[in-house]
Amino acid sequence: MAGTTITAAPTGSLPLDESARRFTAKRRRSLYVGAVVFAALAALPYAIRDVYLQNVLVLTLLYAALSQSWNILGGYCGQISLGHALYFGIGAYATSILFVNYGITPWAGLGLGAVIAALVALAIGWPCFRLGGHYFSIATIVIAEAGLLLVQNWDFVGGAMGVQWPFNPDAWATLQFAQDKVPYVHLALGLFVATWLVTYGVAESRWGYGWRAVKDDPAAAQSLGVEVFRSKMAAAAISAFFTAIGGGLYAAYVSYIDPESVMSFRFSLLFALPAVLGGVGTLWGALVGAVILIPITEISRSYLGGTGSGIDLIFYGALVMIVSLARPEGVLSLFKRTRKARNAEI
Amino acid sequence: MTMQALVQVLASGLLTGLIYGLVAVGLSLIFGLMDVVNFAHGEFLMLAMYATFGLVMVSGLDPVVLMPLVAALMFVLGGTVYVGVVRFAMRARANQGMVQIFATFGLATLLQGVAQYLFTPDYRSLSNSWLGGKTLDLGGIFLPWPQIFGALVSLAAFGGLFLLMTRTDFGRALEATREDQGAVALVGIDCNRVFALGWGLGAALVGLAGAVLAVFYYIHPGVGGAFALIAYVTVALGGFGSVFGALAAGLIVGLVEAATALILPPSLKSVGVYALYLLVVLVRPQGLFGRL
Amino acid sequence: MLRRREILAAGALALAGLGSHRAIAADEVVVGVLYALSGASAQNGVDARRAFETALDVINESHDLDLPAAKGVGLEGLGGAKIRLVIADHQGDPQKGRAEAERLITQDKVVAIVGAYQSSVSATVSAVCERYGVPFVCADSSSPSLTRRNLKYIFRPAANDEMFSAAMFDFMDGLRKQGTAIDSVALFYEDTIYGIDSSNVQRKLANERGYKVAADVKYKSNSPSLTAEVQALKTAGADVLLPTCYTNDAILLTKTMGELGYKPKAMIAQAAGFSEKSVFDAVGERLQGLISRASFSLDLAAKRPSVGIVNDMFRKRADRDLNDNTSRQFTAMLVLADALNRAGSTDGAKLRAALAATDIPGTRTIMPWKTVAFDAGGQNPDATPVLIQYVGTKFVTVFPKSAAVAPAVWPMNA
Repeated sequence: MAGTTITAAPTGSLPLDESARRFTAKRRRSLYVGAVVFAALAALPYAIRDVYLQNVLVLTLLYAALSQSWNILGGYCGQISLGHALYFGIGAYATSILFVNYGITPWAGLGLGAVIAALVALAIGWPCFRLGGHYFSIATIVIAEAGLLLVQNWDFVGGAMGVQWPFNPDAWATLQFAQDKVPYVHLALGLFVATWLVTYGVAESRWGYGWRAVKDDPAAAQSLGVEVFRSKMAAAAISAFFTAIGGGLYAAYVSYIDPESVMSFRFSLLFALPAVLGGVGTLWGALVGAVILIPITEISRSYLGGTGSGIDLIFYGALVMIVSLARPEGVLSLFKRTRKARNAEI
Repeated sequence: MTMQALVQVLASGLLTGLIYGLVAVGLSLIFGLMDVVNFAHGEFLMLAMYATFGLVMVSGLDPVVLMPLVAALMFVLGGTVYVGVVRFAMRARANQGMVQIFATFGLATLLQGVAQYLFTPDYRSLSNSWLGGKTLDLGGIFLPWPQIFGALVSLAAFGGLFLLMTRTDFGRALEATREDQGAVALVGIDCNRVFALGWGLGAALVGLAGAVLAVFYYIHPGVGGAFALIAYVTVALGGFGSVFGALAAGLIVGLVEAATALILPPSLKSVGVYALYLLVVLVRPQGLFGRL
Repeated sequence: MLRRREILAAGALALAGLGSHRAIAADEVVVGVLYALSGASAQNGVDARRAFETALDVINESHDLDLPAAKGVGLEGLGGAKIRLVIADHQGDPQKGRAEAERLITQDKVVAIVGAYQSSVSATVSAVCERYGVPFVCADSSSPSLTRRNLKYIFRPAANDEMFSAAMFDFMDGLRKQGTAIDSVALFYEDTIYGIDSSNVQRKLANERGYKVAADVKYKSNSPSLTAEVQALKTAGADVLLPTCYTNDAILLTKTMGELGYKPKAMIAQAAGFSEKSVFDAVGERLQGLISRASFSLDLAAKRPSVGIVNDMFRKRADRDLNDNTSRQFTAMLVLADALNRAGSTDGAKLRAALAATDIPGTRTIMPWKTVAFDAGGQNPDATPVLIQYVGTKFVTVFPKSAAVAPAVWPMNA
């Protein structure tokens, strides 16, 4: 919602150049805000020296990036995919297999996985974008589950045994760092910045307008000349591309993958959740959502999960339920409202 | 594989399929009524199984006798969930689809936690029920009585549902509400009430399935997951909102799953179901019996 | 009710202590424990917790038992210091296992970690321990690959899958020599590391020793139905069924076998589900004569009083007997305590050296093992597995001869 209000910026009551000027000023301000936030995040791991909290930071940024990727298809284009675990798995497996079996640097695997995932997304989108609403969501779940089953039974990629990364000395070339978490923070942040910039760039482009038109009313979009099908395909490919890179980084970070631990359904939900909680189809929603959700998930498991009584699940489930019910537009809308209110007072 | 083994697998697939249909129909009903996919459907099933288990332990009666009581309890639960959770999700002005998904997903996690808290994560199982472990031997084809009973309950439930939808005022109100909420409000039907009753009915149906399953399946806080996925596929295959579709799709899923396990390694048996489902929705995006 | 209140209090305390590094009392040694406490195998984590509490009772309080670290209060080698546990939940996820291991090491300053049931999680946890130089005592993951990665800080007192499966085939070879006809076996295993590892070894042994593999059925764990799978087993009609499954599928497999009227001549199970109380509560009468590999046998109590006493101590806490898993968990903690005593230090390298030098005679454990000592990879090659048979309402040890109290009932429903 908040994202779409930007598009409504050129209002009729203002002269056209004036509103355009305000619009570009606002766009530029977003960039400045972005630069400041990213610089602060890059410096953060030097302030937090605790390894556990650094781990939470890595996961938070990684999920922010993954959710931002999901947001391109789910948030901007309105196609609620619940099968992104498939692309995540493709990235994780491409990176791991190339590195572990063939000794090829994980950087190449990240690229290859991303390209394969984008192609797979196109192959899936071609038939599935004809499905509407829930039919599309269920189809994505089913395709991802089928992918999980196939990987589980595919001996070439290790089947159920998974892929274990060998021990290597710390190096950027192998993306392996034994104790130091700072490089992983920066890798995850880098991916988030990339997805943010893509979202930023595309949101106000022809594609971006097309996506939102498709989301709001596909029939009207079609009649206005938006190529609905092509818009969806483009969004799916970009979304899958970055999700796969996230999967590759995750594999390098954990240094062990098996089908269940990178391709299960809960990942698909976890990618959507931060964006939904933060504010779907907005520039900052995924990050805000991840900043709230991931630390709470991690900390509630670490400090409430040790009893085995299920209270961590109760806590987490109640939180997701309450936040999504209390703020359907996402947590981010709280800030928008206060700013609007403040402006009104002035 | 002998002819006898083939018949055995298909007969078992048929019985399982009828039970899948019963598990799925509540989901389909709720969807048809108000366009909501309940992601806590598997957890409803899990709670129904625990309810059966608990009632058997407390009363000492047989699960078959307790089935109506379980359905009644689940009816109350379903109505409560609508009033307490889903009603608010329906009010969301933005992103209604996603709010529904994640509100019910949050509910699912919460219910799993509650079950683990109350019942511990130990695996439970009912022994010593009338039907438990008894098998009908038809010349080498073995049909377990609990599954036969489950299949009969499923058929009866579908029959009852059909009568309810077509012959009663409540059914007509349900049907009218799904056609046009606004118009229904004009003629003085309280939509909220109809929705709450619809959720109750959907939960009661999955309650029957839970009571049936409790006789021959294990009970665990996470037991819903395996059935939930099948229920989603069944509902989408049959067509969201179509009661008859759920029955037909349940049968198809059960049979295809059994047949796939004969051809492919059994660990891939769901792949056959998934492939069939994808094939069907590509040809008929609304599912076999759904309406667009 | 009391338990719940305790749990809530513990939760509140944990939250209060969040992030702050809890001060470590001088007379306290902190050990990390990692298990899945939610999800499909949560009960295993809950039972493990009770097994470790029993071990702590033995170590921290004075008991007249012939077990390492039992006599005297606390750890002698560390001036009577007591062990405190920090228990964490990895939910069966390798990534979470890794994160929790790092937390235990850096925040709670644990001197060692014990865990983790799922072999996939033990793989990442052992890697973290290696990087931080903190010993990982692998209590109950049985994947052979874990101790073959040239890690210096992993120690597994119990047997791995190869040793367990070898015992099964040794047992069948013995029966063959006595004239029992055993020609074929059927493999039935789940599609996880545990199932695949087990089946690979069993397939290899069957081929080497001349058993026909009549059926090789890999199934999807947590399936709603196993009818087609059981039908395949029934059609194959092998002499011996070798199932590898966890609790839920063990229950479902047994029920489905009953429903389809499939009664194999014998079943030799890869423990896990087939050593859990809930399985025998549910379908015990159908499993009369089931043989399972095990690390533990309650029959030993007749020869070794400590076995019975420890089992009673565990029973009071968990309302069930020690089994394959909980006995290994208990023993892992005692092996660690023994090493702590000898190291006289909580330093990672010194503790590692002490663990590597472990030499506990089997008679001073509750296990039927020859000794506890580790090879270069950290595996105890002398963790002699036993086979136990379910007869009546209890297990009877039937193999090897040194531990057996009765000959095996064969076929199982004889």
